[in-house]
Amino acid sequence: MSVVDTPSAPPAPQPPAPAPAGRTGSKRRSATSGGFAPLALTLPALLLLAGLLGYPLIRMIVLSFQSLGLRQLFADLAPDNVGFANYAKIFTNSTFYEVVARTVAFTVVSVLLTLVLGLGVALLMRRVAPSVRIAMIIAMMFVWAVPQLVATQTFRWLVDSDFGVLNYLIDRLPGVDFANHSWFADPIQGWAVITTIVVWAGIPFIAITLNAGLTQVPKELLEAAVVDGASAWQVLRSVTLPILKPLLVIVTTLSVIWNFGLFTQVYVVRNGRPEDEYQVLATWAYSTAFKNNNYGLGSAIAVVTVLLLLGVMAFYMRQMFKIGDVD
Amino acid sequence: MVATAPQTAVRKRRRRPARESDTPTVGRSRGGTVLANTVGVLFAIVMFFPVYWVINTAFKPAPEILQFEPTFFPHTFTLDNFKSAFNAPFFQQDLLNGVLVTSGAVLGALLVGFLAALAIARFRFYGRKAIILVVLSVQMVPFVAILIPLFLMLQKADLTNSLLGITLVYIVLILPYTVWTLRGFIQAIPRELDEAALIDGASRFQVFWKIILPLTGPGLVATSVYGFIQAWNEFIIINTLNDQAHQNLMAWLLQNQTSRGTFWGPLMAGSILTALPVVIFFLIVQRNIATGLTAGAVKG
Repeated sequence: MSVVDTPSAPPAPQPPAPAPAGRTGSKRRSATSGGFAPLALTLPALLLLAGLLGYPLIRMIVLSFQSLGLRQLFADLAPDNVGFANYAKIFTNSTFYEVVARTVAFTVVSVLLTLVLGLGVALLMRRVAPSVRIAMIIAMMFVWAVPQLVATQTFRWLVDSDFGVLNYLIDRLPGVDFANHSWFADPIQGWAVITTIVVWAGIPFIAITLNAGLTQVPKELLEAAVVDGASAWQVLRSVTLPILKPLLVIVTTLSVIWNFGLFTQVYVVRNGRPEDEYQVLATWAYSTAFKNNNYGLGSAIAVVTVLLLLGVMAFYMRQMFKIGDVD
Repeated sequence: MVATAPQTAVRKRRRRPARESDTPTVGRSRGGTVLANTVGVLFAIVMFFPVYWVINTAFKPAPEILQFEPTFFPHTFTLDNFKSAFNAPFFQQDLLNGVLVTSGAVLGALLVGFLAALAIARFRFYGRKAIILVVLSVQMVPFVAILIPLFLMLQKADLTNSLLGITLVYIVLILPYTVWTLRGFIQAIPRELDEAALIDGASRFQVFWKIILPLTGPGLVATSVYGFIQAWNEFIIINTLNDQAHQNLMAWLLQNQTSRGTFWGPLMAGSILTALPVVIFFLIVQRNIATGLTAGAVKG
């Protein structure tokens, strides 16, 4: 590379600063800004995104102000404009508030559980023998690789009321009768199962990412803290976590975005028709549109969902820009 | 470990360079503690158990599956479940569909995405940040949200129940990540290489063809594998837009459950067949996926 450096340095007015990438570097290379090339290169991608993501998004917003059902669909009629009627229907419906509360509660609980367990596992990985660490990593890799749908089907089988292994194992406890126990009859138990699926599947990403982050924590810093008399908890709180913070912020934000959009697990576990106690925003929007054929109302729910997430999304983007990788 | 700490503090030997014997808390004995190792092994077992249970079930004959007291190893080892899954209605059709749609989507996204990534990584132009913003943000829109208009749109264009329609949708599904990751790979190639080539008389196209493309090779592989996984795993959209003859294996796995009760043996065998390519591919490129999602958060 050093051979390459020499001819690339033009008789520059400024001394050759030892910062090849960065603001000064980019200014010097203003030549690369030229022409229609960047536009031509990005055009196909932008057209595809605009056509199959941008337009549907706008259409979704328009639809949310319209009434569109099977009648209009089959007769190929234009949807009726209904103004804010769909939104009024949502906001005056107590189901909406229950669904939002349920979605938020699930997101908070599942993200917290995934984060705490993931961080615990990451810390644990640094304390175990190498062979144990490899076993942990292999197990997590498999879990991470399992597709969402397959994972959900797997757990359906594990908690099956007649022949599920979980009922059998719990039944073996003295004095407990769990034969033919149905986990989804009681929504609280059902949600425990759904949360378990999500947390189980979410731990590998968090643990492995945070473990990679932990290797970046300078050993000298930890040693200094210990020498100064910090307890293990203090070391974690005052040294490790602050260094991990940027990474923690990103994985937390991503987890919030993913878990808020919970769909697959609920949809599959409830055989495609979730009962009221199992509806979250995404499944509710889907059911309203495709099961009840009320596309306008479904779109309105989807719009509200995106709006509720917007703050978190904006935060994520700000972080990505702040870190500077985007530059 | 904690007990020794205050003692050290009292003596205030801050400046002394730490010797290995001084740092029990940080260094941790090489083998780890018994407690930590036990917890670690237990964790690995609990995590892996569901995966194991799928495999265990898939190789059991039906009577052995349908009993309250399960067998933790198949007593009778059978491949019947795999046979019946493979010969089930639509399995082979959906397998072929999945391969076609997924490879079409990956190739399309790679082609389109690479050009866009090149522009973002190598040019500074008006609207560049806006494009990055778009790429980053569309990744976060819950896809279920635009499913409704997408369905209406494709229906009008006569692209439901077609492999072409769903391939286009999947291209868009994996495009943002493709652009974002490839941008990182291209940026990692020193600009000086481009410039040296340009000064030596190479055209811009030659720079692209002879320098950037070969050096991005591993990145292209990793990105396409991730795209493959995403497209292969998708079932909500394809299940909504297409009938069974135009779906993929994931959607098949869903149908298998809802239509006529659940046959656990074939379902678990089908799950293995469906997940196998993904698991293999995933294990190959795992490292790249993790860094792509959190790009830059760890300053190396």
